[in-house]
Amino acid sequence: MDNSTHKTLYATHGWVGIISGILLFVVVFSGIPALFENEIEYWQSPSLTQLPKSQNFELESVMQTAVKNDFIFDEIFISPADDIRSHHILWSYNEATEDYETLYLAAHNNEVVTPGNSELAHILTELHTDLHLPNPIGRYLIGIAGLAMLLAIIAGIFIHTKWRKEFVMLREKRSWRLLLTDQHKLIGLWSLPFTFILAFTGTILGLLGLISPILAFAAFNGDVEKATQAILGPRAEITGEALPSYSLNALQAQYQKENPEMLVDLISISGLQKNAEPQNNQASQNSESPTLLTDSGGIIKFSGMHGSKLNSLQATTYQLSTGEQIHQANFFGNGPFQRIFAAVVPLHYVFYGGGWLKLFYAISALAVCGLIVSGNMLWLTRRGYNERHWLGRSTLGVCAGLVFATFSVLASSMWLQKSGAEQHHLEESIFWGSWLLCLFTALVFPKSFAISHWILRGSAAMGVLTIIGDGFMNQRWPWNSEGWVLFIHVGLVMFSALLLVVDYLLPHKISQKKSTEKTAIEEMAKAA
Amino acid sequence: MAWFKKVANGNGSRICAAMLGSLLATITLTIGITMLWPFGDTTEKVFAGGVFFFVIWAALFYWAILSASGSRAWLKVLGVFLPMLLIDVYLLRF
Repeated sequence: MDNSTHKTLYATHGWVGIISGILLFVVVFSGIPALFENEIEYWQSPSLTQLPKSQNFELESVMQTAVKNDFIFDEIFISPADDIRSHHILWSYNEATEDYETLYLAAHNNEVVTPGNSELAHILTELHTDLHLPNPIGRYLIGIAGLAMLLAIIAGIFIHTKWRKEFVMLREKRSWRLLLTDQHKLIGLWSLPFTFILAFTGTILGLLGLISPILAFAAFNGDVEKATQAILGPRAEITGEALPSYSLNALQAQYQKENPEMLVDLISISGLQKNAEPQNNQASQNSESPTLLTDSGGIIKFSGMHGSKLNSLQATTYQLSTGEQIHQANFFGNGPFQRIFAAVVPLHYVFYGGGWLKLFYAISALAVCGLIVSGNMLWLTRRGYNERHWLGRSTLGVCAGLVFATFSVLASSMWLQKSGAEQHHLEESIFWGSWLLCLFTALVFPKSFAISHWILRGSAAMGVLTIIGDGFMNQRWPWNSEGWVLFIHVGLVMFSALLLVVDYLLPHKISQKKSTEKTAIEEMAKAA
Repeated sequence: MAWFKKVANGNGSRICAAMLGSLLATITLTIGITMLWPFGDTTEKVFAGGVFFFVIWAALFYWAILSASGSRAWLKVLGVFLPMLLIDVYLLRF
């Protein structure tokens, strides 16, 4: 590789990283709680963690309970109990109230249970999926950040020619700059396969909405809806004609028989209606579900994950009135590109491999966070900027601020358990308030290193406060907890300890000489 | 004219070609690939286009950014964009 190519790649790696670094940190760090969304959602509602362990799921019985509770809408989604939670979740978009309605049923007896008022999991996950911005702006921004990460990785691979040496090199007793350089290369090399998978799958997920019209334009004359239906199955076409519903249990059994290795994680039912007069209606007398009727165009779709393969795009659609299978999306045995797409979601959100792989992903995501922060610090250090530079302050305010805000909202979700329906508003206020406070402090006060120590200590304290809060408010102490509650406690202790270690290792002040952009790039190229 | 040459050959022009020009070229290439992909059914063609989109965008970005000047970067991306645009129009028309 000639010198000018090397320099251009170095400059591109640096600038792409600097421009997208802070946003990438937000996306990657918020990805850690998003990875454990189901576990956090289960933990945040103590009433749900006390349910007897059960994964019993009978669709007919679940829907009968839903109808009895007037939970009947045009399209209802059901997420059955799994190995984490012992309750089913039903939700639907209510067009009258313009909000989502949810219903929680205990798996062991299908009785309605009341969850807590915390929205912790949603607050943290929505930051990762949409940045809390209107759809699709947030999603596209995340996709662009993923693409920037991909570009930075590609350039990073080509500029680090001495990778065998860099795999193990960490000169911690030389200068601050060398330490940052070695740490950046070391983390980058060790986490390379993970970061590449994360960036590629994240880019596809983020920008899928943007490229769908292009693909539909080429293959379906621009009809995105037609393309979506061809891939994922048809939508219900409501006719207004009521018919008796086919037995939902029979459909569930039929799906399991046809797809024995699939773990059903989502069922959508469209067109189901409540029978107002089940005893007198001719249709209901012929039906196996006397209180349930369906529109003649009503459909039911079962979709799920393959137990042992990377596959998320497997769904079967049946006609609700006849039980006839009308569409099957199964990308196994099909072409390689369908299989690549089917693997994107399980690879990104670890829907395979179990809890230990999730833990590995979480640790790797933390390493990527370290990579991003060290990259920004390295960029500043190589140009001789001190801790007062706006980029350093912004990095501190946004990145360390997000860590503090995440731990603050975790702690508040436990201590605010008794605040009733206002809990999720308070949680949101604490999350955004603490983040803004950190950003404001970092931008106003010049001593960035001193502030970073306080933020790290504060975050660790919040982690410990979360466990104490869970103990006092819910009587769930680490020594009497089990399952995911215990894992979350242990995770909080480990994370808090890690923050204190970083606090101990981070210097309180650094001194350096100023250099220009040109000399910085030349020095970087020379160093490589 | 000298002013235009300076701008066209500058760093800003090169970066624009790498970001915007490569995106336009990628769109036309993706449409072409989706329509011409010889293996599998329509669904496979759509997914092939979807996967190639990101690979091509990244490849064209670096191909353009590694050019000696802005005008050369634009020549590269337009060299992909224009022929593919003609092919796409031909395929969609007939």
